[in-house]
Amino acid sequence: MRRKAQATGVDMRLGPRPGEIIDRSRGLTFTWDGDTYPAYRGDTITSALAAAGVRVMSRSFKYHRPRGVMTTSYLDPGCLVQVGDEPNVRASHRMVEPGMSARPQNAWPSLRYDVKSANGALAPFLSAGFYYKTFMRPKRLWPAYERVLRGFSPGGAVSPEAAHDYYDKRYAHPDVVVAGGGPAGMAAAVAAAAAGAAVMLVEGEPELGGHLRWGAAPELAALGDLRRAVAATGGIEVLTDSVVTGRYDGNWVAVVQRSAPGVVERLIKARAGVLVAAPGLIERPYVFSGNDIPGVMLSTGARRLINLWAVKPGERAVVLTANSSGDAAVCDLADAGVDVLKIVDARSGEDVVRAKGGRTLRAVECADGTTVECDLLVTAVGWTAPTSLLNMAGDRPVYNERAARFFPGGGHDDVLATGGIAGDGSLEQLIDHGSAVGRAAARRAHEVSATTEIPSLPVEAHPALFKARTHGFVDFSEDVSSKELEEAVAEGYDSIELAKRYTTATMGPAQGKLESVNAVAVVAAATGATIAATGTTVWRPPYSPVTLGALAGRSFEPVRYSPMQPWHEAHGAKPLVAGQWIRPDHYGDPAAEVRSVRSGVGLIDVTPLGKFDLRGPDVPKLLNQLYINKWSKLALGSVRYGVMCAEDGVVLDDGVTGRLGDDHYLMTATSSGAETVWEWIESWLQTEHPEWRVHVARVTSDFASINIAGPRARDLLSLVVDDVALGPEEFPYMRVRSGSIAGIDGSFMWRIGFTGELSYEIHVPASYGLGVWETLLERGADLGVKPFGVEAQRILRLEKGHLIVGQDTDGLTRAYGAGLDWAVKLDKEDFAGKPELGWQEGRDDFLRLVGLRPLEGTAVPAEGSQIVEAGIIVGRITSSRMSPTLGRSICMGFVAPHLAEPGSAISIVAPDGSRVPAVVTPQLAQVDPKGERLHG
Amino acid sequence: MKPVKNGARRMGRYSAFDLARHGVARNGWPRAWHNHDLRRAYDVVVVGGGVHGLATAYYLAARHGISNVAVLEKGYIGSGGSGRNTAIIRSNYLTPEGVRFYDRSLKLYESLSTELNFNVMFSQRGHLTLAHNDSSLRTMRWRAEVNKLEGIDSEVISTAQVKELVPYLDTSSEARYPVLGALYHPPGGIIRHDAVVWGYARAADSRGVHIHQNTEVLGIDVAGGAVRGVATSGGKVATPVVVNATAGWATLISDMAGVAMPITTSPLQAAVTEPVRPFLGPVIVSGSLHVYLSQTDRGELVFGSAVDPFPSYSMRGSLDFIESLAGHVLELMPSLAKMRVLRQWAGLCDMTPDYSPIMGQTPVEGFLVDVGWGTYGFKAGPVAGEAMAQLIAEGKTPELIAGFSLDRFMRGELLGEKGAAAVGH
Repeated sequence: MRRKAQATGVDMRLGPRPGEIIDRSRGLTFTWDGDTYPAYRGDTITSALAAAGVRVMSRSFKYHRPRGVMTTSYLDPGCLVQVGDEPNVRASHRMVEPGMSARPQNAWPSLRYDVKSANGALAPFLSAGFYYKTFMRPKRLWPAYERVLRGFSPGGAVSPEAAHDYYDKRYAHPDVVVAGGGPAGMAAAVAAAAAGAAVMLVEGEPELGGHLRWGAAPELAALGDLRRAVAATGGIEVLTDSVVTGRYDGNWVAVVQRSAPGVVERLIKARAGVLVAAPGLIERPYVFSGNDIPGVMLSTGARRLINLWAVKPGERAVVLTANSSGDAAVCDLADAGVDVLKIVDARSGEDVVRAKGGRTLRAVECADGTTVECDLLVTAVGWTAPTSLLNMAGDRPVYNERAARFFPGGGHDDVLATGGIAGDGSLEQLIDHGSAVGRAAARRAHEVSATTEIPSLPVEAHPALFKARTHGFVDFSEDVSSKELEEAVAEGYDSIELAKRYTTATMGPAQGKLESVNAVAVVAAATGATIAATGTTVWRPPYSPVTLGALAGRSFEPVRYSPMQPWHEAHGAKPLVAGQWIRPDHYGDPAAEVRSVRSGVGLIDVTPLGKFDLRGPDVPKLLNQLYINKWSKLALGSVRYGVMCAEDGVVLDDGVTGRLGDDHYLMTATSSGAETVWEWIESWLQTEHPEWRVHVARVTSDFASINIAGPRARDLLSLVVDDVALGPEEFPYMRVRSGSIAGIDGSFMWRIGFTGELSYEIHVPASYGLGVWETLLERGADLGVKPFGVEAQRILRLEKGHLIVGQDTDGLTRAYGAGLDWAVKLDKEDFAGKPELGWQEGRDDFLRLVGLRPLEGTAVPAEGSQIVEAGIIVGRITSSRMSPTLGRSICMGFVAPHLAEPGSAISIVAPDGSRVPAVVTPQLAQVDPKGERLHG
Repeated sequence: MKPVKNGARRMGRYSAFDLARHGVARNGWPRAWHNHDLRRAYDVVVVGGGVHGLATAYYLAARHGISNVAVLEKGYIGSGGSGRNTAIIRSNYLTPEGVRFYDRSLKLYESLSTELNFNVMFSQRGHLTLAHNDSSLRTMRWRAEVNKLEGIDSEVISTAQVKELVPYLDTSSEARYPVLGALYHPPGGIIRHDAVVWGYARAADSRGVHIHQNTEVLGIDVAGGAVRGVATSGGKVATPVVVNATAGWATLISDMAGVAMPITTSPLQAAVTEPVRPFLGPVIVSGSLHVYLSQTDRGELVFGSAVDPFPSYSMRGSLDFIESLAGHVLELMPSLAKMRVLRQWAGLCDMTPDYSPIMGQTPVEGFLVDVGWGTYGFKAGPVAGEAMAQLIAEGKTPELIAGFSLDRFMRGELLGEKGAAAVGH
């Protein structure tokens, strides 16, 4: 079936090729720039377009020069396109799908006529770093200049409507990961698996084979053998269209599966025994005038196009060759019916000078003075070793002058290299080397021997060809020429890193894989240094760009709910996001909830309270270390309020801890501070006092916690507790009891009073939480029990003058400033923050936390409002609410020492600028300052 | 200290006219800075060729006529934190002292392109700190109120206003961390960090400062309680004044002078994506999600996070970091799933106990420090350089940095911005 594209009327598709990967029985169509094109299953976007004679695939970043296929690989710099809502799709790698809609990027109004291509004429003025030298005056115009510059930003577009597709992650523990499925990689995988290793073989292309895939009959025969060997060897997991994107400390290897069934992409995190880097070699473009004109291709690019997709890359060709890949390209071109007009053999000193043309190549000028009219120039001038994965393990590449390329520095136990990056040689030698490395990897993974000898590959001489005598593009995606690099060096940016940063060469989507060595060579020539001394820039992860989706996976952000959440939801609770937790803010009317607590009894779900089960003889030492107050003499059955400070004396957290048994304690921390306190405890136990005999378990979610508060709290509790005496003498304030609550054994209850009311905090095994909650509400119906939420609790505690760490303290509030002087026990042997608090003792120059009463009882200045005196900030409001109990507004806040005395008049500036006069109250507590309700 | 004239040379001016002239004539630009042999003695030796060190040298020469100054850089200029940070500039700090200090820096940044004749591309497209819970909203209100009273353009805005500024943000109430509002700081933005380094280097060089790249400090010669000189990989230099401006390496250099510093070094990681068309104006910061992001003029998204949770000198990125970062970015903007991360890297932060710098004199006479900047160093480069230059020239600690002295740790007078947020960008 001959399928000629209507849009172009051209058909460059060849007859069947032995190694082609297209399925001619499955034709399909897709659109490019609005026109419909035919393709076969197995075509990439660019192979299908090239088959239809399309030559211009994009416009370049700065000068909007036409660009076409060059490498026909993932790295093809001129072939980034928009597919639907996906930007920067590698069109020389992405397979076409039926109905796919692909569009060019960076071209307006069209690829053919791009207005900004006028920039080409301005090239001398838009040289590297031009923007650093202009647009400075007048200053007010810079935003306008900037908008113009931003308009030039390359790349596709993201849509705010783009779907959040499903991505996935997987953990794996292979003995050996082989990065690269070419001949050496396949041989390594087979040898490692044969030696008993579990192997993961990762290949970026859709099939295994590497360069054998586009080779001649002997290569194809070897490919068949190797593929059969891989398939026949147990223990190899083959991942194609996948890439090892990073090697992190501990041989933590990231693999991205670009096409996996059921998901867009999958990130595999593999803890590899040994990583074998076998990425092959990347063919290096040549730098000369016109080297970016569509029609100038690399030898591997032309060969892939012909042999994998059966597309004729041009009609009349010139080939610049310095190696066997170029020679093979000559054969392939001739075989494909391309008229090879001239072979420029660089090994005998021949060279090209410039390519001429506009939207497509028209002629090539050679160093011998001839000019050949042609539409294809194929170059084969050498290779770049992508040593990135080794660099991520700390390896620094070493330049080999004989081979004119960098090699791995070598010397890693758990990262080995094979294939082209390790050396040259015949196919047989490469396979042997791969096998040896595979065997060594298996042995090392099993820690049989870490010092296995690995044979070395020969290194063949290769002419050092980087740049012709004319200037051309070094970085195609960034539009950086060799002339600009030379100019950068001349201006003082004379190291490769500075030249890179100044010109942005190697910083584009190809990540320097095509451009880096040419950039180094140009900088070396310009500085007069050798390439070896100039070195390379550091390759950083990822090896290949990775989508945010793949890295994020399911974007799993856990939500924590208490066991009582179904009840809250069914009863109209307004949710409050509090860190990981979502909990009831209120059930409709927080003020009514407050009144019901003050007049009767209320229930609040306080399950998110951080809870730690502490056991062991040294728990008192730990408590003494963590809390600023004393803990040695906490009696069995008692509870104490404690304050923790960081080492700088700043209040870190507070909570109560009760002694449940001789060596058994339950500690609580604030809901928001629970994670920090956990880390804090572990830090002291693990790094400072590993000798202490203390076991700590996080039990926050093991217990459902309910606070029963109000004058009738005891009456309510007595309805569900039989085995604990609740009378004020038997169970006084700040005591803990264990027993059965609503028939649930293993529960704890303690008497504390954050709300300022008689209150019991009960902790029941979490699975019974909902039942206990419902039982309390049911049995307490006659007492008028009502649930209350976080908002009512905040009002209640503000009325009582209890501070909230993190709200009424901040990152600079030390214990003294928060009015916690009574808690600081400097006579303790040691505790976190002691030296700092020792310095603070007796000082009076810090802000004080005080209660405040606005004179106008209806004014509630927003939390965060500043307190100002004569234009100077002298404090701020930390908490403010309307008090349903008092019927007026109340506040807590920090004030300067001279304003801390009760009765001091202060002036609050509300966010709208209005002034709210207020006075300092006698105590923090504005309701029941004597604590009569609490101790009742 | 006596000003020294030593053959300051005029640098070639940069302007649109000169750009055009060079474009036509295609003759080369003059060097932005020069390589020199190490002199036997300098009046001042600055250790560290980042924005702090170069700004110090520039202001010494430009404002105080002290140009017999060497800047010693182990690698290339800007190779440390100056070239690795996420280039966010703002002044909406929490404490009045912090606000004034960083506002001075922001003002210097605003006029830096014209002052240095080098376009540092300060892109003041605004700075948004998102509130995902009522406690961060409360802290933002506090910051906004302090900012307003200090004359800084800063306000708390609603979710709807946030959506208008950044349509790509998921502002729905279904979001895992819903956006409840934001602190909006219109003068904030991003800058071309390398350009700041190069601009200072070029301007300092033209005033006679010697910039020595690839010159590592191996030792500091202290005798009789005072600095006498510096041993470098390029030879010995005599000098009465050494400024330590080495950020992540600060303690190593201070140790050479026998001055202990309460600093630990921790990596701070960052990442950049491939470019896409402009869609994001302001810098977005989310403390709850430990992420900040901005879009450069080239179209790339630049991401950063909090410092790694343990001290290290490693500058290799980690997988955990980039995974959690990507997850958090997509929580904010789910439509970016198909954007690709191009590079990740790490820089080193010199963290102090109170998240505030250590600046000024030390017990060793002539050994001055401008360190401990943690994650805020780049923002403070100009003002720190200005203040250090003034200290050297006048021999007296300027009021603006008096609170940052090393001996505050001996007196227990911590200060700073720790209260602002753990992710304070």
